[in-house]
Amino acid sequence: MELLAQLPQNLVSGLLLGGMYALIGVGLALVYGVMDIVNMAHGAFLMVGMYTTYLLVNNFGIDPYAGILISAPALFVLGMLIQRLVIHRIATASHMNQILLTVGLSMALVNTAQLLFTADYRQVRTSYAETVIRFAGVSMNLAYVISFAVAVAITVGLYLYLMKSEFGRALRATSQDIHAAQLMGINVRNVQMTAFGLGMALAGAAGALLTPVYYLYPTVGENFGLKAFTMVVLGGMGSVVGAALGGVTLALAESLGQMVVGHELKDAIGFVVFVLVLLFKPAGLFGRARA
Amino acid sequence: MTRGSRFLALLMAVLLLAGCGGAATQTSPAGSGSQGSSASSGTSASAGSATSDGANLPDVIEIGVITALTGSEAKFGEAHKRGYEIALEEINAAGGVLGRPLKLIIEDDASKPENAISAAEKLATQTNVPLILGSYSSAATLPAAQTATKYQVPFIVPTAAADNITEFGSKYVFRINSPSSEYASTAISFLMDQVKPKTLAIIYENTNFGTSTAEPARKLAEEAGIEVVAFEGYAKGAPDFKPLISAVKSKNPDAVLFVSYLLDATLLMRQARELDFNPKVYIGAGAGFSTPEFVREEGAGKDAEYTFSATLWTTDVTWKGAAEFAAKFQERYGVEPAYHSAETHAALYLVKDVLERAGSLDRQAVRDALAATDMGPDATIFGPMKFDEKGQNAHPMLVTQVQNGNYVTVWPREYAAADPILPTPTWSERK
Repeated sequence: MELLAQLPQNLVSGLLLGGMYALIGVGLALVYGVMDIVNMAHGAFLMVGMYTTYLLVNNFGIDPYAGILISAPALFVLGMLIQRLVIHRIATASHMNQILLTVGLSMALVNTAQLLFTADYRQVRTSYAETVIRFAGVSMNLAYVISFAVAVAITVGLYLYLMKSEFGRALRATSQDIHAAQLMGINVRNVQMTAFGLGMALAGAAGALLTPVYYLYPTVGENFGLKAFTMVVLGGMGSVVGAALGGVTLALAESLGQMVVGHELKDAIGFVVFVLVLLFKPAGLFGRARA
Repeated sequence: MTRGSRFLALLMAVLLLAGCGGAATQTSPAGSGSQGSSASSGTSASAGSATSDGANLPDVIEIGVITALTGSEAKFGEAHKRGYEIALEEINAAGGVLGRPLKLIIEDDASKPENAISAAEKLATQTNVPLILGSYSSAATLPAAQTATKYQVPFIVPTAAADNITEFGSKYVFRINSPSSEYASTAISFLMDQVKPKTLAIIYENTNFGTSTAEPARKLAEEAGIEVVAFEGYAKGAPDFKPLISAVKSKNPDAVLFVSYLLDATLLMRQARELDFNPKVYIGAGAGFSTPEFVREEGAGKDAEYTFSATLWTTDVTWKGAAEFAAKFQERYGVEPAYHSAETHAALYLVKDVLERAGSLDRQAVRDALAATDMGPDATIFGPMKFDEKGQNAHPMLVTQVQNGNYVTVWPREYAAADPILPTPTWSERK
């Protein structure tokens, strides 16, 4: 009875958080799921996005949501640079090499942030985060609602772009068979670079959405980076929509599961779901079995 | 391929260096200083006891201090040092101790237990200090206290809170701050005295710190006849506490006790407002709920208003000199003093009192004088000093409430600067 009364609130909370998880997952899905690069630096990219937003808000008074228009392109360029200078060299190397390199990259980014901003935690306060919408006994933070809406819009937009545009076709072709794609006249180097840039831009956008409702410090991305892998595999490797749904599933599982087992084991619930999916549907919830 | 892998190896080396650079520089200064001392400690182990007697004092009285000036806890070591510095100036300006000026020999333990041990060894064997003060963390303080005990040097603990520091049977260890278990008992005593809740919810982070405070709190509450209707641990750093808070809210407790650090405390209070959760009292067991940032905009800001917390010291407490110390500290360092600075300031006044009563720098005489300490509430800015047989000072803990964005001491009555505002206004009643 008591649990039933809490159900609507937890459902809404989980769904709203899921929107943000989805965006984090989609960014990694492009790099890991589509380009097959094990990117352990995704959490650090998220952190870079958060600090970029923080700087825009504090130094230029730019709204954190409007700031996406600046931070996402900036991270897109940074991501392309990182791909060209660093990632490009291990694009076809073993996963172990990729892990070593991206962990190193993550360490470099985190330590740079620590140098620039110290380890102190920071917060961006907006009027959105102070505004609460109450509806039928369910309370929603306006910032969460906006973040959710923006995350859904970006995810849908990205999906349409990948399915309809010339670049989307090239990207999907490259992920299916890099050599065949090359033979068909696709500039594989550019596709890989752009995809990585897109992945980082999405992490930047997710960081911007997270900033008004959370706090930031240099290692803030670690936990989210780890969860992003769960989302991608949960949704099914190679599927952008799958990763988005994986993110929502994970957030809902955490939010609803803790009603039963307690908040303490919240993070465990996500991984239990993950293991169950791997056991019974190894291709992921929304993925097709791979050859 | 070879070109690629060579580049990769180079890059990894650079990244590793970048990653480790911070840690390496932090350890070196104290590490090199204390290694020399431990090498020669065996030869001069008996030098300490052959110190001067009351008749011939040295020109300057040296006092041993261990704290964390570098490393992860450097921020607190700095707070320690500032408290010592102000007290040292005051004491020496007023004529010193036994007619001699005091001098501090400060050893940096770089926030590491092994360095704290070698620092204690160095002070015990290579100097004639009558006693040692130290350190910051419990992890560093316990082995340093054990080392000092081994060499029979009196050891004063100003800050470290782990209960076991006074539990290992030493006659030489004296602690002026309250152990961590006191936070729980203070919160429950306050609730029983001022609120008399029928039901209590305890929300704690599921770490050693959280459980070691929450478990005794539950026990004490039940002994006092309060029903604990919710006892909820959480994984720290969660972005969304709403499921937790709505579960607790559904139990409708009179009072809520938090054991949380700053980041979680901030989100918990913010989301408690969003869920319109209105117990009669929000109280924190220190930590995040008594951190200066908590009441400011970068913390919970106005959501922190009316929350109570158990704490060791406040700038507005009625102990003599506390307000003057806070003003002097603020003027000199541009920040409000944390309790760490008050503790070391008071510790040095304790040293003055002890040495004057001992009348000599003999370590045994100093130990006996320490054990016989009986300083009234206005003797130090940290309140009264009197040690039990374990060397634990009966420090009176305080309860603060956030009123108009400031921590105000509201309990116990004799040290209070204002009355508590009870019950807590509901979120919709607030401006």
